[in-house]
Amino acid sequence: MTDVVVRGLSKSFGSNNVLKALDLLVPSRQFVTLLGPSGCGKTTLLRLIAGLEKGNGGEILFGENRVDHLPPGERNIAMVFQSYALYPTMDVARNIGYGLEVRRMPKLERNEKISTVAKVLEIGHLLLRKPKQLSGGQRQRVALGRAMARRPDIFLMDEPLSNLDAKLRSAMRGELRRFHLDLGTTTIYVTHDQLEAMTMSDLVVVMNEGVVQQIGTPEEVYSKPANLFVAGFIGTPPMNLFPATTSDGFLKVANTTLPIQVSPHMPREVVIGIRPQEVSVMDPAEPGAIPGKVWMVELIGSERLIEVEIAPKLRIIAEVRAKHRAAIDDHLAVRLDPTHLHIFDPVTGKALSV
Amino acid sequence: MKTWVAALLYAVLSAITVVVCFPLLWAISTSLKPKSEIFRWPPTLWPENITFESYRELLFGGAVASAPGAGVPPSAYFLDWFANSVIVSVGSTAISITIATLAAYSLTRFRFWGQRAVPYIAILGYMVPSVIFVFPMFLTMVSLDLTDTLLSLILGYVCITLPFCLWLMWAFFRGVPIEIEEAALVDGASRLQVFRQVVLPVALPGIIAASIFSLIVSWNDYLFGRVFMNSMENLPLTVGVMHFFDGTHVDWGLMMASSVLMTLPMAILFGFMQRHLVAGFGAGAVKG
Repeated sequence: MTDVVVRGLSKSFGSNNVLKALDLLVPSRQFVTLLGPSGCGKTTLLRLIAGLEKGNGGEILFGENRVDHLPPGERNIAMVFQSYALYPTMDVARNIGYGLEVRRMPKLERNEKISTVAKVLEIGHLLLRKPKQLSGGQRQRVALGRAMARRPDIFLMDEPLSNLDAKLRSAMRGELRRFHLDLGTTTIYVTHDQLEAMTMSDLVVVMNEGVVQQIGTPEEVYSKPANLFVAGFIGTPPMNLFPATTSDGFLKVANTTLPIQVSPHMPREVVIGIRPQEVSVMDPAEPGAIPGKVWMVELIGSERLIEVEIAPKLRIIAEVRAKHRAAIDDHLAVRLDPTHLHIFDPVTGKALSV
Repeated sequence: MKTWVAALLYAVLSAITVVVCFPLLWAISTSLKPKSEIFRWPPTLWPENITFESYRELLFGGAVASAPGAGVPPSAYFLDWFANSVIVSVGSTAISITIATLAAYSLTRFRFWGQRAVPYIAILGYMVPSVIFVFPMFLTMVSLDLTDTLLSLILGYVCITLPFCLWLMWAFFRGVPIEIEEAALVDGASRLQVFRQVVLPVALPGIIAASIFSLIVSWNDYLFGRVFMNSMENLPLTVGVMHFFDGTHVDWGLMMASSVLMTLPMAILFGFMQRHLVAGFGAGAVKG
């Protein structure tokens, strides 16, 4: 089993620096997700690890071996592409076995491997079909089968679920996780979908503008965001982030001093963050709550989002049970749970300890 | 669609079909008539007495001399001409397709200076009428001492078919997703294996379409054959059959039988490949 080490890796396309001296350690046997918005460099990083792009600096190691000079075929990796990239003129069996075929594995042995993989993925009945005769989900399985057949050291997956409908995507998330647990192969998975990242990963690598923002377990990146970017990116609905000031060891938001004590070394101007689930709404007369007016109410199934304007253009979203009703322009107050409050430096964006 | 609109459409299409097909049907009919019936007035639409005399003379060097005063009748060269046409069409097509496929692939997959301009320059070159460059090419052939050789015709046809084949293949390769090549590279295939085992099979409809185009152009060409070739035994079919007309007398039976035999290979090819032809041109048009 192999861990992947990336050291000082840079990549630019013309004047566009996509990766900036990036360091990353993907521990052996882990399912690691590269998560970030479009254009953050996650797919480029995956392609560099695969050998489909050449970096402008830095190194990539698989275990002890430096691989960045090797062509993709010599890295013993398997990749699942967003478009599946099945060979359109080959049937399913040959698609799965092509990697073994080019490695000159004897036909009998190859067929045995193909049927084993097909059995695991429940696509045995599709082996003679061409990719165009398959549904999206079946293609997805064939792409997985092709990756599994060679028993690679590392699986690389580039948004493999993004072309599936919501129901199938949800089912495949579980299956992919299950396959990973069974095979134990180091997996690097690229996605912009935080639900996928949170539900499937051992570790999440949050990226933005070619830089790793935070590496941690899904729980860590959710509950202890390292900076403003991670705080705003992870979580649906997103974390409330708004300016506050500190005075006499207390936080002050929109003229309301909160009963939340902070370190005296904290800068005067800060940004505070709190997830909508940790905001409660109450009567404006309650002490310690921030009074405001309801700006918008949205029902999202079992929950209701109440957006309260506490100062001009400063709104806080509270996620409450759906039975809790509120009407636009109602006067309410919001209370922030001090145990779930995050404070960030507005200049560096880094999290400060409360 | 309303019934009367459909009926009208079918009537118009049937009329067009008749107009388009009539010359070929007339050629078939004339080629099967004995000489006495060819000039009969009023003409017979279908021969009263069917004879294969013209075909026999063309294919088996019949005894009837068609060109008065000539030692060897032109019909005796028919099989040579046929073979010449096959050699130059297949030869020029093989060269055009090989160059066009490799060039188009590199134009869509590798980054180099002028990469974007090449296909447009090529298609611009194709738009120049061949009559404009046939004489400069003839002079080049003279200086290379290649006139009256099949190689000169092959090279000439490559010049006129390559630009369009390149354009067609370029449009086709642009529609082939690069991920399938990357998947094969990750699977461990070499660049050559990727090209041979993954890209070429996908590009086959495009290759077939370009090949048919090239075969038809070189098979039907008259101009280059007329300018480049002299000897009776080296002529392509299109130029050779003109010898059934010697200025005073036309052997319509041989002329029409030759026309039918000339059309036959292309018609058969077309019949077999039509499906790929449509797919090939379609893919190029939509994805290019």
